[in-house]
Amino acid sequence: MRVRPEFSAQTLSVLAVMCEQPSQWRHGYELAKRTGLKSGTLYPILVRLADRGLMEARWQEEQPAGRPRRHLYRLTPDGLARASVAVTVAKPSPQPVRPRRRVAAQA
Amino acid sequence: MNGVNRAMAALLRWSMLVMPAERREWAEAVWSEAAEVPSGWRQLSWLAGGLRMTVREAALARRLRYPLAFAAAAAITAWTAWSGPPGNAATTINRVDVITMVVVLATLPWIVGRTRGTVSGGWLARLVRTGGYAAILALVLVRTATRRVADAPPNNLGGVTSAWMGEAAYLVVMTGYVALILVVTARRSPADRSTVATGVAAGSALGIIAYALGPLGFPLRFTGSGPVSLYDAALVLGVYLAVSAPLAAGLAAGRRGTRSDPAGSGVRQGSMAGLIIGSAAALVVAVLSTATIALLPYDTWLRQWASSHIGHWTPVAGHWTVLGPGTREGYVAGNSAFAAGYLIVLLLGPLLGCALGAWGARSWRLLTR
Repeated sequence: MRVRPEFSAQTLSVLAVMCEQPSQWRHGYELAKRTGLKSGTLYPILVRLADRGLMEARWQEEQPAGRPRRHLYRLTPDGLARASVAVTVAKPSPQPVRPRRRVAAQA
Repeated sequence: MNGVNRAMAALLRWSMLVMPAERREWAEAVWSEAAEVPSGWRQLSWLAGGLRMTVREAALARRLRYPLAFAAAAAITAWTAWSGPPGNAATTINRVDVITMVVVLATLPWIVGRTRGTVSGGWLARLVRTGGYAAILALVLVRTATRRVADAPPNNLGGVTSAWMGEAAYLVVMTGYVALILVVTARRSPADRSTVATGVAAGSALGIIAYALGPLGFPLRFTGSGPVSLYDAALVLGVYLAVSAPLAAGLAAGRRGTRSDPAGSGVRQGSMAGLIIGSAAALVVAVLSTATIALLPYDTWLRQWASSHIGHWTPVAGHWTVLGPGTREGYVAGNSAFAAGYLIVLLLGPLLGCALGAWGARSWRLLTR
């Protein structure tokens, strides 16, 4: 029986971006640009990741002039550990190199 | 931000109100991030995505499920009840009826919520509220269908003024029913959970029995001594049940009240139990019977069955002409009279139930003193 993966392909794409520099806080629009996901898909993913304790969220501390404060996201240590494994497993593994048969030499 | 995007941003901010409190932060996050998205289509798409998320989250939280279901049911009822020739009194009354009832059903939860709280947790309150609303919308639908035939000229034998007066009385009574449904299913309900459950179940069963015994509001006529005796026995049993059910519910409520709080709560629970039984029974029988009356002009078999099992089509009253059974005028006038008769049932059912329930509870207190 095929085991259902822990994360969907879209969630994996978000996790992959967040794993790049895990200590850095990221904005929603940046994640949307990097993953190509629309806000209606991206934010439910962020909500579920936060619900599962894999991601932490906070509001920007200082209020930018003329703009609302931004919401920031970062993986938790547990989220980073699980995301790193999931992203590594999901990456297409390189084809194993087969040793050439030295048929001619033997012949 | 252009006008469309500003409107979408405002809609997104407004939609946060229907989201559960713990999720509002996320909708606000989408809204605030929209300021970073280049204006135009991309920003509009961003905001639309946020709106989609809020609707989905709110629906998941059941906040929108019931309002959306009510809006759909109300729209279908209004659309069905709306038709009719313009300038006709029956059409106007039907339109006033459906608009008033939809407004009452939509706004009364807010008014009741301010004093009694929102709907109580658990499936029972939701079931009673949903069932009650469905029954009232169904009654609107079948009443308007009946009126379209019976109260339209030249069949409006009772006159336009009496039709409007009947409609006004009906709207007042039905507002009382909506208020009762909302109050007994609210968080600070005067009736406890078991009183509501017993009352609704017993009342609905009584309503079905009453409908089976007289689907058009009058006793049925049978031929042959066997069916006549059987029907008479069933009638006696039906009357006995109609009296004893609220009385028994009152006794049971009095017993519970004596155990938990002797200071009169038993009598209050008893009267509430009787009120709920009487209201549920009256509502069920009114919906089923009015639906049968509404079908009469369209169903030949039903008409033939009715004319052979009911002795008289029209009561000899006022300026109405006594009409022979089986004629078009006969059943049209009969429809009108029978359908109007259910207003009395809707009014008296709760009052009698309440009185019998209170009497039962008080009797229990006197017996155990």
